[in-house]
Amino acid sequence: MSKPELHITHIYPNEMNTYGDRGNLLVLEKRALWHGLKPVIHYYNAGTQFPESDLVLGGGGQDSAQDDIQVDVLRIGDTLHKLAAAGTPMLMVCGTYQLFGNRFITSDGQEIKGIGIFDIETLGGSKRMIGNVSVETKDWGLLYGFENHSGQTTLGEAQLPLGTVTKGGGNNGRDKTEGARAFNVVGTYMHGPILPNNPQFADWMIAEALRKKGIEHKLAVLSEEDALAERVRLSASDRPY
Amino acid sequence: MVVELLEANGLRVLSNPTGSNLTRGIISSVSQQARHTGKLPFDIAVFELDEAYARQFTNVLKPRYVLGLNASRDQLDRFGEVDKVAELIGDTMLSATDGIITNADDRRLSAAAATAQVPVFYFGVAKKLLEYFPRDDELVAIGKPSPVAQAANVPVSVELETFKDDHATYRIDDKKISVELRVTGQHNFQNAAAALALLHELVPNIAPATLAEQLATVRPAFGRGQIFTLKNGSELQLCLVKNPASFRQGLASYITSSTPTLIAINDRVADSRDTSWLWDVDFEWCGLGMHAPVFTTGTRAMDMELRLDYDDVTVEGAEPDLDEALKKFCEIPGSKVVFATYTAMLHLHNQLSRKAGKKL
Repeated sequence: MSKPELHITHIYPNEMNTYGDRGNLLVLEKRALWHGLKPVIHYYNAGTQFPESDLVLGGGGQDSAQDDIQVDVLRIGDTLHKLAAAGTPMLMVCGTYQLFGNRFITSDGQEIKGIGIFDIETLGGSKRMIGNVSVETKDWGLLYGFENHSGQTTLGEAQLPLGTVTKGGGNNGRDKTEGARAFNVVGTYMHGPILPNNPQFADWMIAEALRKKGIEHKLAVLSEEDALAERVRLSASDRPY
Repeated sequence: MVVELLEANGLRVLSNPTGSNLTRGIISSVSQQARHTGKLPFDIAVFELDEAYARQFTNVLKPRYVLGLNASRDQLDRFGEVDKVAELIGDTMLSATDGIITNADDRRLSAAAATAQVPVFYFGVAKKLLEYFPRDDELVAIGKPSPVAQAANVPVSVELETFKDDHATYRIDDKKISVELRVTGQHNFQNAAAALALLHELVPNIAPATLAEQLATVRPAFGRGQIFTLKNGSELQLCLVKNPASFRQGLASYITSSTPTLIAINDRVADSRDTSWLWDVDFEWCGLGMHAPVFTTGTRAMDMELRLDYDDVTVEGAEPDLDEALKKFCEIPGSKVVFATYTAMLHLHNQLSRKAGKKL
């Protein structure tokens, strides 16, 4: 029997890749292989056709890169909304998280429209929140990462956060929320990157993608990798903000 | 490299110790070396400055020349983004009163220099060598082959034309020189082009052949490819890694499939507190760990071990304590390499300077 395919799409790989974001892609690719699947990697660049996608990843970029892709992200907004509503797992980190919200207002008052998958709004700030973070989540327990952003994000009233910060600033440094979640789409400020340190979350993305495809496939137990990740998590819990 | 070349030309040079590149380092180097009359017995001052601090420094003291090497993603937990790093270096370059020397192959820096009112002199590497010196954008570019570098449309006064092992050839204006270098690592071949371009301006009447002889005597700087001889007779090379670019250069220059390797990753402010950048380094292509053991150490020893695991490199031991890890590593026979982030390098350098050949 041939191995089930898992189509993983990394959006704007050349613009939105500032902080080790390709680590997330590497983890999904390698874990898919180790789970006995056949990962197929697609890179979506502005102006091209959106590829077949079971999983979608987006990273963080420079402010200047965000300007470059904002027109295009609106162009593919409908496609992304449909994928989201169909339950496609997506992980949007930092800059792409902001673009999945309603709008981003830069520190000089310029408005960048987002695609509104999350009911969030981000204000460019002058102070960056930088440090080790940990976030308590309902479905994946404690997540560890490193935040580095000047945008301050506020959630709309009905918008679910990804979780509650137990260390670090999170969305805005005030309300203890971090990230956002809608369907199986997760937005977050956590670099680190997030997936290597939190393999339970990576495996959830893979399992949901398979479930959505109607494929019954038991994920392998990756005890060696997960033991390594557990040691990283233990040492991460000691790091100061 | 610049200091040694200037000294070789008979100039008395005031400089700050490598790496001590903030206010403290500059002030202590100046005050320690001043005469009691307050005069400094030097012909020229050369300061290596932290990119964020350089702008403040040049607000107070205008340099005659500024050498801008490259803008790389480095300590993004301090600077936020690469464009910001380039902006800081760009502002510093524009403070020069006599001239700017910068990298024709760095699109951010050459764009910044293009707006200068003073003469700009470029160094670079030959087009066919560009693949060995990937620029920051190419290192992290995902999913597309590195774009063949667009050579900046500027006249390059010093160009690295070829290199093999320790041997490099340069073109200085229209003259060629050939050098057997003592410094190792391919990034140092590029650095040497930068130093030659600066010397060419500071000591304009020097013959290229003389420069070549002088360059051949330059020794590796503190913790940058320095070699220590150990008690068991083997050699250990200590290499600073600070960002994806320098780590990649280090792997390309020093690692074969049979090189025992220790990787020391700390996460203090001077190292980069965010270790995400380790995921922008590709470890799979260089043979690391294939026929030789790999160890990790430092406050982020575990993160490094996990990173290598995802590139199918098996780690023999992850020991956060630097001294313990170094002691064990030194017992291995044969030539070996240590890669270390800044504060880990300082610590290991200190240990090795005191104990190599005796206790280690």
